[in-house]
Amino acid sequence: MNAPERFELFVLPDGRKKVSMTPDTKLLNAATFMIEREDHTLGNMLRMQLLKDPRVLFAGYKVPHPLEHNFMVRIQTIPGCSPGVALGDAVTELIQEIGALKNKLELDVIRQRAFEEAKASQGGGLGGDEGGMDGGVGMHRVVDMDF
Amino acid sequence: MDLSGAPYGSLGTLSGPSITIQELKKDRISFILTETDLSVANSLRRVMIAEVPTIAIDMVEIETNTTVLADEFIAHRLGMIPIDSTDVERIKYTRDCTCSQYCSECSVELTLHVKCTEDRTKIVTSKDLVSNNPQFQPVVEDKNDQGILIVKLRKGHELKLKCIAKKGVAKEHAKWSPVSGVAFEYDPYNKLRHTHYWIEEDAGKEWPVSGNAKLEAEPNPDAPFDYNAKPDRFYIETETVGSLKPEDVVSMGMKTLLDKLGYVQMQLKEELASHQQDQTGWSY
Ligand SMILES: [Zn+2]
Repeated sequence: MNAPERFELFVLPDGRKKVSMTPDTKLLNAATFMIEREDHTLGNMLRMQLLKDPRVLFAGYKVPHPLEHNFMVRIQTIPGCSPGVALGDAVTELIQEIGALKNKLELDVIRQRAFEEAKASQGGGLGGDEGGMDGGVGMHRVVDMDF
Repeated sequence: MDLSGAPYGSLGTLSGPSITIQELKKDRISFILTETDLSVANSLRRVMIAEVPTIAIDMVEIETNTTVLADEFIAHRLGMIPIDSTDVERIKYTRDCTCSQYCSECSVELTLHVKCTEDRTKIVTSKDLVSNNPQFQPVVEDKNDQGILIVKLRKGHELKLKCIAKKGVAKEHAKWSPVSGVAFEYDPYNKLRHTHYWIEEDAGKEWPVSGNAKLEAEPNPDAPFDYNAKPDRFYIETETVGSLKPEDVVSMGMKTLLDKLGYVQMQLKEELASHQQDQTGWSY
């Protein structure tokens, strides 16, 4: 009855900032970033990426409250760098890494589909006449025949 | 020590992350991720389970229900039926749509009308659902598939209803998850000692290694523990519910991650600009 709406987990309310930075009041080159409507999926990945950066002296994240859908990353860097730059670079690195993975996946899918198709056409023989789920338009979806 | 220069990533000698598909079937894919971080592999797992959009029945208007099951019971069963979501990208989320409740751009309508007139049990299945959009049909595995059982009718029982299927993600409700399970493993020999086995006498006997162990070199039991070692091979296998092709689940998962990162990147730039923290030459 009074359960919170599930979409609050990922829909950013009007006027709320996705990313907000609070510079540390005592330390130079330190700041806390609050990322709204994201969770451990992004938080942990960002933290681990930041820790690989030799300019980063400290990086940690937390999800302060289970009913508030945000996480905080705290970053301290060496002089000559800033937490904002470090965070920006970490995000860029991750985009490149996952982008590269996605490309490799798509190439490997084509290779693997061709392989399975070749295996099916020479190996199976009595595999029946089904063409997978589609109406036989493309090459995708090979029926598994090695029972 | 000059660390302020080029981004650290370009100093690396790694060939970069890679992915190798081990098996690709109609409803499952198994692959190995290498040269990437545990956190990236885990985020991919999380996102495949909970943030890849699909289509599922979200609203049910029941006109007649004289079956033995209550309205809400049937509505729940309908929600769980996988709907072919190959073309989800063409459907908008209702919250992003201009319509007031739902329309053809953000929903699919499915109707069902079954009445039992004979003196024997009649089954109502997902095959009795009639979609108004041929691209979005309840999933049928092959021609021997008799559909998913919704309810059984006896003589005189009737079920007539209208369903509105919408685009969503499993973060909102598990019915939108494209997968029924994701298996995730690394370091099958537990060389890194991330796992602490509960044992009676002998861990080797009581905890047989998984099938993925065949793909790794068996460790030398006398080798000293390498406390610097990090996991870098991740064995992932995922099985779909049929609404999306397994390879698409993985690639859409990666796309979801990229979209999230891209959005954060954009908003971060804005936030930094508003702080004018530019002394170090932020030049994005
Ligand atoms: Zn609409």
